[in-house]
Amino acid sequence: MSDKFIPAISTDEIAPGGMKSVELDGREIVICNCDGTYYAMQRRCGHMNAPLELGTLDGKFVTCAMHCAQFDVTTGQALSGPVPADVGNESLPPRLAAFLQHVGTLMKDIRTESIRTFETKVEAGWVHVAP
Amino acid sequence: MGTESRKKALHYFFDKVVGPLGFKFTPDAELADFLLEQEVMLEGKHGIPFCPCQPLRHDRARDMQIVCPCIPFHRKHFDAIKRCWCGLFVHKDVIDPDSLPQLSPKDVGLE
Repeated sequence: MSDKFIPAISTDEIAPGGMKSVELDGREIVICNCDGTYYAMQRRCGHMNAPLELGTLDGKFVTCAMHCAQFDVTTGQALSGPVPADVGNESLPPRLAAFLQHVGTLMKDIRTESIRTFETKVEAGWVHVAP
Repeated sequence: MGTESRKKALHYFFDKVVGPLGFKFTPDAELADFLLEQEVMLEGKHGIPFCPCQPLRHDRARDMQIVCPCIPFHRKHFDAIKRCWCGLFVHKDVIDPDSLPQLSPKDVGLE
């Protein structure tokens, strides 16, 4: 991990429980405000690359908005994979059903990987991140 | 994905759900740990942390009623026995979970 901290965002830009994405040193990073403690992690979900700031931060756990994979923002550890989709009991139009089956086949072997986290510090009202 | 980390996460999420329902985690920490571990395994297999003590019927509508914590779907039953079916959650006033037998809905006059 780099010891080069870069001012990333003003602390008042993220309310407790909120997340915001920034680009630092060419990296996409999401900064999370966990009740006044700031954590930084890679922006892309370890499952299918969706932007994590669109998800939900609850305590120190972020849930991806795309397939509900969950990660610990303090360590970046993947906690759970995607939640299975519910297509209900209705029969789908054949072309849509075939497409979903194809997508399902492609997604079957996708693993949910842990994500990278970055060191943070707060100085003079700014969150600094070492990307 | 680490089992221990997932157990901690499930504990955190479940605690927030069952508290307002008048329940808490069983004081039997060993039992709670064991049941959470089973749920992590079920989640790994099915993508959903189902109750480890009730059978999956492969009928989504019915199976969703045993997603932990399943208290809202079995409220009358669990309120009558002061615990959930597997005993992971008990009423907030329960100190000795071993004193609560696992009674079926029929046993408590609900069927």
